[in-house]
Amino acid sequence: MKRRIVLILMVLPLLLVDNHTYAAEAPFGLRIYEIGHAPNFKLNNSDGEAFELDSTRGQWVFLHFWASWCGPCRKEMPLIQKLSEKINSDKFRIVMVNTSEDEDTVFTFLATLSIDIDTLMDTDGQVTEAWKPRGLPTTFLIDPHGKVRYQAIGGRQWNNPVYINFLKTLISNQ
Amino acid sequence: MNTALILLAGTLGVATQSLHTRTNDILIEFAPRTPDQMTSFYEARGFPKAMLDKLKHTCYITVRIHNTSQQQIWHDLGNWKFSVNGKPLIREHRDVWKQRWQDMGIPLRFQSTFRWTLLPETLDYLPSEIEGGNIILPRTDQLITLKANFKTGEDQQGPVINIEYDQLKCADDSPTKSEP
Repeated sequence: MKRRIVLILMVLPLLLVDNHTYAAEAPFGLRIYEIGHAPNFKLNNSDGEAFELDSTRGQWVFLHFWASWCGPCRKEMPLIQKLSEKINSDKFRIVMVNTSEDEDTVFTFLATLSIDIDTLMDTDGQVTEAWKPRGLPTTFLIDPHGKVRYQAIGGRQWNNPVYINFLKTLISNQ
Repeated sequence: MNTALILLAGTLGVATQSLHTRTNDILIEFAPRTPDQMTSFYEARGFPKAMLDKLKHTCYITVRIHNTSQQQIWHDLGNWKFSVNGKPLIREHRDVWKQRWQDMGIPLRFQSTFRWTLLPETLDYLPSEIEGGNIILPRTDQLITLKANFKTGEDQQGPVINIEYDQLKCADDSPTKSEP
């Protein structure tokens, strides 16, 4: 019995820490979305370099699905750029996934907006299909253990201090 | 907080007439797209002619739903009933379109883009949230009546919101005839 109590006392703080780690209150527009492990995928970026989602363990991942034809995506892209500039941490990674467009379209779009964030090319749309965002743009936040934690459907003011501070809190609680 | 599915609103300009219905809790706006407007959007994205030929014979309407309440609202297209002169007008589910494109051998990338332009079949709207997309109906030159209901509350047990709107119509490319 004594042994069991000791064991519980040892494990309890770990459980509390795990709950506490991600307990920061999400700002408006970010939904808690705990669907378990993030489905892995492999895609090339626009330079043809391979990327695998599972390689991001240990980082918070801002996984963003977008397309150039989507009006809110156009508005949101510069804000994501600013976000990337304001959170410069190796514990945070922005992963952009373009849905079903070709490289010419993507290059032109990013160049027009002067965006220098790299994007992955989901040319046949099947990774997007697997992730099933309910609309475009959609952003998922994945924790350092590879679990999906939050979702934002639609465009957000990502350069707003509310979001930046929230993300910084997540990172620092890591 | 718009989704991409309001895309056509921005992309196609303001030539179309906006229609809407509202209650204390919800605002629903409709923007019927002409066949030319709709197919030119998809054509610009490289859609095959076979897809465009299918789409241009449909009634294509961009819908924007705004939760103006302080509670969660649950949208389910299964609870939207369209009719013309009392007879049901059947909206084709996105799975029907998916199967059609597969049968036609349409490349996956175009299937995917098409899917993202549709209004989600189900979606929960948080307070103040605005999301949208397109619905596709059989083409008709008659006024269309929509009856829809929405569950509310986090547990979907709140008061049901019922809407009825009888001024919905398909958009036409032909010039508007002036009244005599």
